[in-house]
Amino acid sequence: MDLNRRHILIGAAAGAATLYAPAVIGQAKPRVVVIGGGPGGATAAKYVARDSQGAINVTLVEPAANFVTCFHSNLYLGGYKTFEEITHSYDDLTKKYAINHARKTASFIDRDAKTVNLDDSSTLSYDKLVIAPGIDLKYDSVPGWGREHETIMPHAWKAGPQTQLLKKRLMEVPDGGVIVMIAPPNPYRCPPGPYERVSMMAHVLKSTGRTKCKIIVLDPKEVFSKQGLFQAGWEQHYPGMVEWIGPKIHDGIKSVDPKTNTVETGFETYKNAALVNVIPAQMAGRIAHEAKLADAGGFCQIDPVNMKSKADPNIFIIGDAAIAGDMPKSAFAANSQAKVAANAIRAELTGSRLFPAKYTNTCWSLIETDDAVKVGGAYEPKDGKISATETYVSKPTEDVAQRKQTQAENIGWYTGLITDMFG
Amino acid sequence: MGAARGLLAALLAGLTGASATVVVLANTPNPSKGDKELGEYLSSMCVGCHQLSGRASGGIPAIVAWPDEQFVAVIQSYKDGTRDNETMRTISHRLSQEEIEALAAFFGGLPPPKTP
Repeated sequence: MDLNRRHILIGAAAGAATLYAPAVIGQAKPRVVVIGGGPGGATAAKYVARDSQGAINVTLVEPAANFVTCFHSNLYLGGYKTFEEITHSYDDLTKKYAINHARKTASFIDRDAKTVNLDDSSTLSYDKLVIAPGIDLKYDSVPGWGREHETIMPHAWKAGPQTQLLKKRLMEVPDGGVIVMIAPPNPYRCPPGPYERVSMMAHVLKSTGRTKCKIIVLDPKEVFSKQGLFQAGWEQHYPGMVEWIGPKIHDGIKSVDPKTNTVETGFETYKNAALVNVIPAQMAGRIAHEAKLADAGGFCQIDPVNMKSKADPNIFIIGDAAIAGDMPKSAFAANSQAKVAANAIRAELTGSRLFPAKYTNTCWSLIETDDAVKVGGAYEPKDGKISATETYVSKPTEDVAQRKQTQAENIGWYTGLITDMFG
Repeated sequence: MGAARGLLAALLAGLTGASATVVVLANTPNPSKGDKELGEYLSSMCVGCHQLSGRASGGIPAIVAWPDEQFVAVIQSYKDGTRDNETMRTISHRLSQEEIEALAAFFGGLPPPKTP
């Protein structure tokens, strides 16, 4: 080998090393900042920190000390869980994996400088940024209803005080009272969620002797998740208590009046409702829009191979804020996406092995005590999006034992997911 | 291993319903063929439900510290439809033999739960 060729090879090797692990050469530990501490963000922070074994500095930007899960908040509504049981501290996660918990709100992302400004005027630098802000509500999507009305007509689509308010209001509904739910248009967080909520409302009313109550569901969608299963369950368990009305019949929500608890549609006007639950249209969390990572549809395009933003190679977007192809917006999906992103981030920053993306999801829904159904699937990158390779849904012919077993899975999954996020 | 094989046969013979209880066999010395690092990555598909600690919860059984042969056989039983749980069937359909062995090696190498 002559000298020139050897020099070229050494140079090429050095170049390859630089490409392989750019952040570990000639500087301190690479830095990963995660915005949002839900099932996407908490999981991503944990997996990057745990699996890099201290080689990556991880900061979780999340203003809350505790996380209230949207998933199983319907079980709280139905009286199957306490509020404490759906509330979880970040302490174990941050201590066990040496994750810095910035109890602040991210106020600005400078993508060129690769920094995140926090609301206390401090700044975090990152090599890779994970954004998992969840959803924001479109307060202008239901005529007559806005942020100022959410204490009168609660949405309860972000878990916390709204969830508690909805339960309080449900308990106050008199026998014979009418509940109106305005269901959200696609795409939205937790596709079966509104209909599990209807089931839990009916369960509470029935089990407290208020069977003359009626729940009217005004839906902008022609079809919804697990529709046949829910409607059969309502008929079986809550006969006459639930009426679902699709857009061809109601012809759109013309207006709501929070002062009189009135909802006017093109078909009928519901006056003096005992409770109106408005679940509005949704979009990616604010920070994604401000950083110009969301498209005209309100959510963020990602590379299905690794959850990387199509707008910025140093940013990964996971969970409800992402356009995840065939995957629904669910906690299970966010947790699954976080692990794919964490593997890709570690590979880029430390040169660890990179494995192909494999995504999974299951969404369980409880219709009545011991009567649960599920929908789920396996997903892989294909044709430029996250595509389902196989999906399934509970069968209408399942027996009582099967439905009870599905609920047992649901309960076990929750504990498993919380352990995977925080434990 | 003979006793374990007998238990395994009994286990698989009984695995016809979704509610069948999974019997956890004692881990026996069993050099794994599988790629543990691949298994650890793939385990991310499992641990949203099954806990790494080996703690069973609700209807989600423990899957750690099994002999490789048992783990592979159980996944195979979902794959070929002997056991019928839609979630597990869907997961198993996407796994190659190499991936199943990798998962077996990873989960099999984890310690059994402290309190059974």
